[in-house]
Amino acid sequence: MKIVKIAGVTAALALGVAACGGGETAEPAPAASAAESAPAAAGPKFAGQTLTMWRLGDSNPPAQAYMDDLNAEFQKVTGATVKLEWIPWPQVNDKFTAAAAGGAGPDVTEIGNDQVPLWVSQEALSPITPLTSAGDQAQIPKNLFGLETIDGEVYAVPWGAGTRAVLYRKDWFDELKIEVPKTWDEVTAAAKKIQDEKGKDVDGFAFNGGSDANHLLGAMAWSEGGDYAVKEGDKWVGKLTDPTFKAGFETYTSLVTGGLSGKSRLTQNTVDIRTRFANDKVGMYLTASWDIPGIETDSKGKVKADQLAFFPLPAKSGGEAPAFFGGNDIAVWGTTKNTELANEYIKLATSKQWADRYAKDGGLLPVYPDTLASLASDPVQAPFAAAFAKARSFPADPNWTEAGETKAVLQNAARSVIEGKASADEALATANKELEDILNQ
Amino acid sequence: MTDTSIARRGGGHASAPSGRPRRSHRPQKASGLNPKLIPYVLLIPGVLVMAALLLYPMIQAGIMSFQKVGIPQIRDVNPRPADWVGWENYTKIFENDIFWSALRNTLVFAFVTVSLTLIVGTGVGVLLQQLSKRMSTVLIVGIMFAWAVPPVAQGVIWRWLFDAEAGIVNWALNLLPDFLSTALFGRADWTGVPWLNEAYTVYIALIMTVVWASFPFIAVSVLAGLKSIPNELYEAARVDGSSPWRTFRTITFPLLKPVFAVLTILSIIWDFKVFSQLYVLLNGPTNREAFNLSMFSYAEAFRPPPKMGSGAAIAVILTIILLIVTAFYVRQMIKSEEVQ
Repeated sequence: MKIVKIAGVTAALALGVAACGGGETAEPAPAASAAESAPAAAGPKFAGQTLTMWRLGDSNPPAQAYMDDLNAEFQKVTGATVKLEWIPWPQVNDKFTAAAAGGAGPDVTEIGNDQVPLWVSQEALSPITPLTSAGDQAQIPKNLFGLETIDGEVYAVPWGAGTRAVLYRKDWFDELKIEVPKTWDEVTAAAKKIQDEKGKDVDGFAFNGGSDANHLLGAMAWSEGGDYAVKEGDKWVGKLTDPTFKAGFETYTSLVTGGLSGKSRLTQNTVDIRTRFANDKVGMYLTASWDIPGIETDSKGKVKADQLAFFPLPAKSGGEAPAFFGGNDIAVWGTTKNTELANEYIKLATSKQWADRYAKDGGLLPVYPDTLASLASDPVQAPFAAAFAKARSFPADPNWTEAGETKAVLQNAARSVIEGKASADEALATANKELEDILNQ
Repeated sequence: MTDTSIARRGGGHASAPSGRPRRSHRPQKASGLNPKLIPYVLLIPGVLVMAALLLYPMIQAGIMSFQKVGIPQIRDVNPRPADWVGWENYTKIFENDIFWSALRNTLVFAFVTVSLTLIVGTGVGVLLQQLSKRMSTVLIVGIMFAWAVPPVAQGVIWRWLFDAEAGIVNWALNLLPDFLSTALFGRADWTGVPWLNEAYTVYIALIMTVVWASFPFIAVSVLAGLKSIPNELYEAARVDGSSPWRTFRTITFPLLKPVFAVLTILSIIWDFKVFSQLYVLLNGPTNREAFNLSMFSYAEAFRPPPKMGSGAAIAVILTIILLIVTAFYVRQMIKSEEVQ
């Protein structure tokens, strides 16, 4: 798989340079140079115009500050003002659907890299191929455009890359004298200990069965060598019944059947888990560092960043589990009337200076190789870099969202196993057929 | 004020003293228009509104159910023509397991909920009539609050009540003596019992939610019906030594039959298309085994990738089922009226 290779290459590069003791500062250049690298030619040509921009996620203070600075810079360069709207992640697909159908969409939107094929198939994004081969953007490795390139046209520019790792309550681990787990058994033991000490209704390691459940299930299945489906010719062939996938699937369901996570929360997604985490009801869960500001807000400041830390998810079969190769892109919305202005915005936002700061402020890995290299020595980012080296991806097909989120094929399989209605073999056989039907429709 | 029933029946005439002289002029005034046409003219605004808001979308949904419709077909900026797929949407739905479980859920839910709503509503209505006027007013106002709660809020309230850890339902069940709880439900410890995971228990919660919110309307309607039954009949029954149950069966029920007929049809229609409460209880279309037809239609039509054709097809099927059930019931009703 292409993306795996890229991830490997990028991360290897990152680690390699770090090993050389790369002394480059990760400090962003002063704002003045941005104006030069940005499209100065556009000038005040767009004065008085308004551009609508959708950012995904919650408007936590660092993200808001970043957007304020970026939009101020954009106004200085082009004369156009930016109308910014925040869309929480779980609502993204609904908002996109409504916008694409009703025509009241943004001009520019942030978008998850795995969502790009779906929305291109719904003709909701405009191609921006020329933009990616000039200026700063030409430095972004071409193989980062795997999900974004469809039939030779590029529809989105990678803005920041992200993988997931296990977020845990460092203060609880210190208090209960738990070592940072290196193996899956240690994770289970730590989770049990947390539940014993902190209450039965606390999830030691939270089960994710919601819209983004496959981030957790995927990591566990991939770590056993399993995969969802592979393309043979022009047909997807489901691989859910492979013993390797089954092994990962059983680790996943054992979170609930083994009592690490409450039986009553089979449909919670990362946002639901985060809310419970902020309320002292979760010890560990798989997520990315963009959750930390939200946790501080949700807990009204009671849970602070220094009480939290990450470790790479250990694979049950040993070593670190591969994570989903995630990333946030930025794209031009298909029905925009300001195509030129929207292109200018993307050019500025994904320029080296602003993309680097986007990644840094958002807790993501930068898409520019040399910046990534300089970040690998950062202790906060190290777990992600480790996961990044092994990052994998879901089937690159526009119908994946239907299988992974809408029809929740594997979430339902897991539920039927957890509730004892089917064995793992039966549930996976049914799911496999359904997955093939959906991907090949 | 002296005789309200007459005033009510008089309807328009109630406002009348000053209207009396005008009445003699009326035929002249209407002479500009053929009196036979007047009802139709008066219907025009209503029909126009219905046509725009109901008829057009219904026809559109009917057409869409034979097409493949996604976002590119419905957007307002250069939309693409929709492909005609014939019966494919329908055949695909019939092959889908989710459809059959959704159909089962919809029918069983509607049957149970309509029965429970009518039974509870009638019971409360009859009891309300036994109360003093002030007490019954207080109670009516109280239960009407439940009826006035918007569907989404109903869902949220009952979702919290049925919460596994913090919910009052599990707390209350835990208060039961262990032997009683074990005898009734086969378990004594209710801590952390998840109600909203499995289809079966989700529907128990949903039935409670919907019955709770809809019985007040039935109760108040029945009460209004009861007040119209002349007291002499009850007196006669009492003189003849009739038991309360027999009085209800032979006097109250037959006289209220038209009221029950209307309430039943309304309840069937309402309970067939319950959506918001289920959406909230399930936290969106998550557990597809607990879908009903409305939820299935919504998930198909609006969840990405949107398949509005098959969503429309499910809606058409739901409408047809509803029409059959209602038509059957109306027929029964008319028949029994004829017999009388």
